[in-house]
Amino acid sequence: MSFITNVSKQSPWLYRINAGSCNGCDVELATTALIPRYDVERLGCQYCGTPKHADIVLITGPLTARVKEKVLQVYKEIPAPKVTVAVGICPISGGVFRDSYAIEGPIDKYINVDVNIPGCPPRPQAIIEGIAMAIEIWKERL
Amino acid sequence: MFEMMNTLELKVILAPLILLPATFGALIFGLLLKGVDRILIARLQRRIGPPLLQPFFDIIKLMQKQSMVPIGAPRKLFLALPLLGACSMFLAIGLVPIPGVYEPSAQFGDLLVLLYLLAIPAIVLMLAGSASGSTFGAIGFSREMSIMLAYEGPLLLVIVSVAIKTGLSQGQFITFSLMDIVQYQQLNGSFLFDPWMWPAVLAYLSFIPANLGIPPFDIPEAESEVLEGPLCEYSGPALALFKIMSTMKTIVVLALGIALFCPGTNTGMWAAVIFVFKCSLFFLLTKSLLRASVGRMRIDQAFLFYFKWPELLGVVGLLLIVLQG
Amino acid sequence: MKMIKVLLNNLIQGPSTDPFPFGETFTPEGLRARIHFDETACTGCRMCEHVCASGAIRCEDSEKGMKFTVWHNSCTFCGLCEHYCMPKAITLTEDWHLAHKQEDKYKMIEQGIVALVSCEYCSKKMIPSGPKITAVAYQGTNKMIEKLGKICPDCRRKHSAKLLSKGTSL
Repeated sequence: MSFITNVSKQSPWLYRINAGSCNGCDVELATTALIPRYDVERLGCQYCGTPKHADIVLITGPLTARVKEKVLQVYKEIPAPKVTVAVGICPISGGVFRDSYAIEGPIDKYINVDVNIPGCPPRPQAIIEGIAMAIEIWKERL
Repeated sequence: MFEMMNTLELKVILAPLILLPATFGALIFGLLLKGVDRILIARLQRRIGPPLLQPFFDIIKLMQKQSMVPIGAPRKLFLALPLLGACSMFLAIGLVPIPGVYEPSAQFGDLLVLLYLLAIPAIVLMLAGSASGSTFGAIGFSREMSIMLAYEGPLLLVIVSVAIKTGLSQGQFITFSLMDIVQYQQLNGSFLFDPWMWPAVLAYLSFIPANLGIPPFDIPEAESEVLEGPLCEYSGPALALFKIMSTMKTIVVLALGIALFCPGTNTGMWAAVIFVFKCSLFFLLTKSLLRASVGRMRIDQAFLFYFKWPELLGVVGLLLIVLQG
Repeated sequence: MKMIKVLLNNLIQGPSTDPFPFGETFTPEGLRARIHFDETACTGCRMCEHVCASGAIRCEDSEKGMKFTVWHNSCTFCGLCEHYCMPKAITLTEDWHLAHKQEDKYKMIEQGIVALVSCEYCSKKMIPSGPKITAVAYQGTNKMIEKLGKICPDCRRKHSAKLLSKGTSL
C-alpha cells in the first residue's frame, strides 16, 4: 500500500480558518496560492471551500473569545488524517495581543498543532516552507 | 457525531470500474484531459501548474479519507446518491457511438435515453444539495435547479433539430437513433460544415459550459462563495465518486457533440486517435481559454443569458431545418 | 479580444514562478527577520524590552550578568528594538527560514549574557561601555575615553570632578 500512500501524498488540500485574525496573514495565504510568483499548486495543493474536503488546516489569528466555540466546531468537522499549521505569531503565542482579556490564549491549548510559521505576517516563501514541512508530516500519518 | 461509510459500499463502487473496460478507458482519458486542462490554465496565467497526473492523485487520496454523514441528513439517500450518479454515467458511456471504433446496437439505446441519462447527474447533484441538511447545500440545490432549467432548453432544441434533419432525409419525419445520425453524416458530410446547421452547433457549444461547470457558468458547484454548494458535506469516497461522475459526464457530452456534428469516416486505430484529438481540441479550446480569462456570472445573469441567446439559436436552428426539409 | 492577446502573451513569456522550494529564491535587501544579539556591545539599558511591541524580549539580572532573551514566536519583526538600541547590539538579519515543528516551539530563541566586569577603582560589578556606545556618545575615542569605559558611574563622576578641579580638560 506504500505506492498508494506515495501517490496520495501529492494531493494535500488546504483549508484556512481565521480565528479572529487581523487578516494580514490571510492576505499572505491568498498570495501564496493565487499569484503566479509563489504558486502553491506545484506541490499539488488546492484551496477547498469546505472543511469536509480539507487535509491541511491553516489557522491564523489569536483565538478570540467570541469565535472560540465556532473554530473548535469547524475543526472537528475536518476528516482525519489532518495536519494543523499555525500561521503567524498570533496562534502560536498570542502575538501582540498576548495577555489581553479578549483572547483565549495560544491555540495549542485546545488543538494539536503540528507546524508553526512565525512572522507578522510571514513571508510567502516561509509559508511555502511550512506547508512543505506539513506535507511531509501528513505523508507519515496516511 | 458523524458516521462513517462502510467499506462494503466502497467495494461496490469500485467493482464496475474494473469490470467494464470502456468506462475505465473513458475515466483515464477524462482525468488526463482534466490534468492537461489544469496545466494549460496555469500556463495561461504564467504559473507552473500541478503535475500532469494530479487528478488521479486527488481521486486516490479521496478514497483514503474518512467519509462523514451529517446528523440531519438521511443516511441511505446521502450515500446512495453518488453511486446513482456514477452508475448513470457508466451506462451513458456505453450508449454514445465513437465513430469507427464503437457502434452500439440500435436497441441498446438511442438519443432520448441518452438525454435522460445526461439529466441524471444534475438531478443527483440537486438532491445531494438538499439531502445535506445544511443551508449551503440548500442554496446549491436551488442554484443547480435554476441553471439546469436554463440549459435543458437549448439542448432539447439542438437534439430535435439534428434528429429532424436526419429523419427527413430518410423519409420519416424524425429519428432518434444515434447510429442513423452518424451514418448519415458519414455519407453526406458532417453537419459542422453545413451552414443550415450552424445555429444548432452554436447552441450546443454554448450549452456545454453550463453543463460541465466551466466558468462563467460554474455557479452551483465548486464555488468558494457557497462553500462548494451541493457537495459541501461530502468527503472521502463519496466525494471521489462525484468527481468521477463529473469527469465521465465531460467525456459523454464531448463524445455526443462529436457524434452529432462531426463524426469522421475513419476506421480502426486511426479513428480512435482522431477521436481523442477532436475531444481534446474541443475541450481545451473552450474550457481552458474561458476559465483562465473570465470570472463567474451571477445566477440570474446566467439564467437570463440562457433564455436569450442559446434558446434563440436553438429555435432558429429548428426552424431552418424544418423549412429546409 | 484583448484577453486573447494577454493570454497568448502569457503563453509565450512562460511561467514567472519563483522556483522555491525546488530551487533558489531571492531575499530582498533590508528584510527584517531573525534577531541577532551582540553581547559585547549591549549596555543593559533595557530600552528594547520597553519598546518591544509584543513583549518578546526579556532582560533578567543574574550573577554572571544580564541575561537577554528574545522569543521569535512572539516577535513581530517591527524593528523598534533595533531603532532604539544606541550601540546597535540588537540587529535584525535577513534570515527568514523560521518555520518549525511544534516540538521546537520554545527553542526559537536568541539568547545572550552581557557579562559583568569589576570597576577598576572600586571593584563593584558593572556592565562595561564597549567601543560601540562610546563611538556613538563621543564620536571618536582616545585613551581618556577608553579609561572612562572601564569605571563604574559613581567613580566616573568622582574622576571627572577631580580632573575639573585640577583644571585639566578631558
